[in-house]
Amino acid sequence: MIVRLLKQPQFLIGFLFIVSFILLSFIYPSVMDVQKESKFLYDENEVIVGIAPFSPKDMPPFGTDMNGKHLLYLVLEGAKYTILITLVIAFLRIFFALFFSLFHRKSKSTFFDDIVQATLYIPTAILAYMFMVPLFVKDATEPMGMMTLIVVQCLILVGIGVPPLVSTFSEEIRSILAKDYIVSTFSLGSKKPYVYYKHVLPELSSKLLLLFAQQAIQTLILLAHLGVLAVLIGGSKTVMMGDIFNLTPSTISLSGEWAGIIGQSYQKLLTAPWIILVPLSFFAFTIFSINLMIQGIQNSLESNKS
Amino acid sequence: MNFSFSSYLKRLRSILIGVLIISFLPSIFFGIAPLQSMKLWEYTIENRKYSLFPDIFDKFFYSMTIFFTALLLGLLVALLLTFLATLLPRSLKRAVYGFLTLLESLPDLFIVIALQVSAVYIFKKTGLLIANVSGVYDNRIYFFPILTLSVLPTIQLFKITFLLMKEEQNKPYITVARAMGLGNLYITLNHVFRNIMTSLFQYSKTIFVFMLSNLFILEFVFNLNGIMTIMLNTQGVSFIITVLFIAIPFSFLFEVMESYRGGLNVQKEDAA
Repeated sequence: MIVRLLKQPQFLIGFLFIVSFILLSFIYPSVMDVQKESKFLYDENEVIVGIAPFSPKDMPPFGTDMNGKHLLYLVLEGAKYTILITLVIAFLRIFFALFFSLFHRKSKSTFFDDIVQATLYIPTAILAYMFMVPLFVKDATEPMGMMTLIVVQCLILVGIGVPPLVSTFSEEIRSILAKDYIVSTFSLGSKKPYVYYKHVLPELSSKLLLLFAQQAIQTLILLAHLGVLAVLIGGSKTVMMGDIFNLTPSTISLSGEWAGIIGQSYQKLLTAPWIILVPLSFFAFTIFSINLMIQGIQNSLESNKS
Repeated sequence: MNFSFSSYLKRLRSILIGVLIISFLPSIFFGIAPLQSMKLWEYTIENRKYSLFPDIFDKFFYSMTIFFTALLLGLLVALLLTFLATLLPRSLKRAVYGFLTLLESLPDLFIVIALQVSAVYIFKKTGLLIANVSGVYDNRIYFFPILTLSVLPTIQLFKITFLLMKEEQNKPYITVARAMGLGNLYITLNHVFRNIMTSLFQYSKTIFVFMLSNLFILEFVFNLNGIMTIMLNTQGVSFIITVLFIAIPFSFLFEVMESYRGGLNVQKEDAA
């Protein structure tokens, strides 16, 4: 399976993009010399001629955000958190959905079906928002620490994705169980756990990778949406910015992921659009790499069939 | 068509139970009652309270106008583009497909914000305001939201029809039509398109759900006062009502589509 996938150029390209992104994010301080901050711009006489934010024209390649932090640095720093959180969430969604769907099939509960039916009409961002806001309220009254907050938020994001997946999986499993050779395996007297482990899971496995990639894309989009809604993973802190005469409260993302960059300067969209557009285009780029991987997986599945 | 009202009611009941569960889960998990000061028929935007009725009808129709106009526009443009794409030589078709994958990867948020920013940029540079890019209380804007909302469905529909078209091109009836000496244009318009439309129907549910999510982010970024804004800012009973406002017509549409598709399958089996 893996060897066959590696032969697909599209899969390979997408995979390399993502892996190199994560690696670069971890090792860039020792490899590249990225300037972190420049709040003021001086001319040759050491006179201040400009103040952050700088556009990409003034400070190539990506400009700086409102506090003078270079976006290149922020994006590189955030890449590892964003991609790893996304992958973990997508993995857990698949894992729990598989776990539930094995039981769901037996108990004919319509619990999941009802929720799935309802979630069709509620955008996932609103759903996540509904769960996140009480969490923040609770965090404000009794602080729970950043790690716990991140874990709980990830669990929420996992939980939102599980019910639709469960219904997909149980349909898939039902169609596999209806196959002739499974029926004959049962009539030869094999136990259910054996059949699930030996036949159903291998049949599902090719589908699983595909669903995993799709879930990763959905999670990335959801993260971006939540960033705009100012619901940041890892929480946010309100600080007073600006000079003495013009104090304005602004939120600062505590974890460095990309949605946080979007969220903390979304209000400045029209004065400094690049602060939003740069992380967003990195989102787009990551999604594109995953789409390439999906294309590769589909190609290898098709060549497998024929 | 074998639309049955009872199965629609069953679906509605299931939606109602689902929404009930979802709306009370947060308070169960975190032990926080929905804002105590909130009355049942109210929603809050930036700490100001508004009553849900009759605002919601107005906003619902506004959102739906944008939604369906965008859908129609997207469908028309996608079909037009597919038609143009079939006229391209084969090598270019692959390039088009690759380009579509690239476009499809753009998050909806990116498209919404990029269009908004570029409109403002054009205005700043040339003084030409194409259309308003932000809704203010009573001033409803249509042009930009519709344009933005239609971009992604257009891309998706284009990709789907493009693939379907490719599949259809190899079918025997096309070969027969060719052998009969019918023109390429005639075959595409009269035969292929009709068959594609029925297959396209199957994807409508995915696209509808996807567009609802887009509609939400659109309303947020463009500051439109639509149904999704209400949904974001409500809790408890008024949240359930808002969801039902969307769920009732859309589930009706889905039900009709599914019954129609079921009818199609039966017809196909009969023919086989």
